[in-house]
Amino acid sequence: MAARKKILPRILEILLIAVWVFPLAWMVITSLKYENEVVTRAFTFLPANPTLYNYIEAFGSTYILRWLLNSLIISLVTMAATFILDAPIAYAFAKIRFPGRSILFWLVMAGMMVPFQVLIVPLYLQFNSYGIINTLTAAILPRLAMPIGIFILRQFYEGIPDALEEAAFIDGAGRLRTFTRIILPLGKSAATTVIILAFINAWNDFLWPLIAINDSVRYTITVGIANFQGTHGTEYALIMAGAVIASVPELIFFLIFRRKIIDGIAMTGLKG
Amino acid sequence: MIPGNRDIRDGILFSLPFMVVFALFMVYPLVFGFYISFFRWNILGTPAFLGLQNYADLFRDEKFWSSLWHTVQFVLMTTPVLLVMGFLMALLVTGKSPLKGLMETVFFVPYIFSMTVVATLWAWIMQKDFGILNHIIRMLGGEGVSWLTSESNAMWSISIATYWWTAGFNMVLFTAGIKQISKEVFESATVDGANALQKVLHITIPLVKPTTILCLILQVIASFNVFGQVYVMTGGGPAGSTRVLIQYIYETGFSYFRMGYSAAMSYILFAIIMAISVIQYAVLGRRND
Repeated sequence: MAARKKILPRILEILLIAVWVFPLAWMVITSLKYENEVVTRAFTFLPANPTLYNYIEAFGSTYILRWLLNSLIISLVTMAATFILDAPIAYAFAKIRFPGRSILFWLVMAGMMVPFQVLIVPLYLQFNSYGIINTLTAAILPRLAMPIGIFILRQFYEGIPDALEEAAFIDGAGRLRTFTRIILPLGKSAATTVIILAFINAWNDFLWPLIAINDSVRYTITVGIANFQGTHGTEYALIMAGAVIASVPELIFFLIFRRKIIDGIAMTGLKG
Repeated sequence: MIPGNRDIRDGILFSLPFMVVFALFMVYPLVFGFYISFFRWNILGTPAFLGLQNYADLFRDEKFWSSLWHTVQFVLMTTPVLLVMGFLMALLVTGKSPLKGLMETVFFVPYIFSMTVVATLWAWIMQKDFGILNHIIRMLGGEGVSWLTSESNAMWSISIATYWWTAGFNMVLFTAGIKQISKEVFESATVDGANALQKVLHITIPLVKPTTILCLILQVIASFNVFGQVYVMTGGGPAGSTRVLIQYIYETGFSYFRMGYSAAMSYILFAIIMAISVIQYAVLGRRND
């Protein structure tokens, strides 16, 4: 009786895990089938003749590698620029007593409340007049104005004792030196969270790159995959191969930073 | 305090780079968008001032109301389910199961995939003729379901894909909330003879309330902003039955190039989201004290 009591929940849990993983497995399984095995009422679960044909086709006849590269460039630049922009102002908010600081802080934090779709029309017109629509730059810039990173960094920097900074000042270090030698190294874990979240959000961005970029060569991977169905209609095996390829970088990123990503979300409650 | 007090100079210098970007790509477009919403504004042609005409037109635009209604439908279909799922998942991964680490990873992992991948995958799973869901239903003797091609099912199907995609996100928040409850509370309940269910009902649920409120507010906002799933899975169809507000904003602005009208609509959506957040915060937040 006691043994059964322990086994039943485990079986249910394994079942639940299986259900949750299944869609991902199905994506991979479908991608390894020939199209005529997929588009048929005669159902087969595993591929009768496993093939990499769809992957060769996806790499050969679509821009998928370019899309991945575009997304990678956008995400990496966003990640670096977010850190360069956010860390100094977060430090100023946390440690420098200058007039207007709290007004400025609340102004920036109010930016977190702005839903992005309010900005799409004006940003498009703005970028159109700069002549940068249809460039990766256009996809990057609006992301850099999002204040969530400042919020996280400021909170962390506030926790750093003033005494550390004061000791550095007494030793003759200037503000910049104190920032780069004391604050930044101490704030490394918060900064890692910020740049990882910046990377993921840039990578998963959809609405804005859909608007800002028209040339299929310059699509991000999210836009490319979304339009796959339009261009490849019923070639489901090929579409699934594309979806698998599109997911590999994210999956690798997740496996490396799993703990950091989950803790980062728990800390900030940041969504999409 | 720095010797020779350069706080003002340093404050400005350290804030400046971000503030420039913030002013250019957040404050300016926010104001400019509001301005545009009072004009007939196409990409070509000269803008014409309309006053409140765009807003007045919105109230008479059936497509606007139906898009708003579909958005509200999606919010109602997803929010309660996602909160309950996230909470139950969090109970599983904070329990005593030897599988809890694996479960946490597995439940969370869909969220890592970009929404277009998730939507594409579920569109295939739910495909009417060859999708695996209908294969299974037919094998069990049923009839294939029009998951995405019937007006009554499509929004539910999109919701199901969304459950799978983001339940793990809420799980992470609830897990953090549950872990903050002190172990002693549970231990003394055990001593008093409370069973597992009683502990969940009388300790966990009341004590994670701040997390529940946070999740609720975030989820309502996220669901109000639904777009990608619909764009990929149904394109707003069948017969416009899943067209949501952001999609209508997108189409108005970038398929029909009615920028002013589109901007006006986005401000209405902004106002709705703000109002709901404030109400939620006021009602739920106060009772929490």
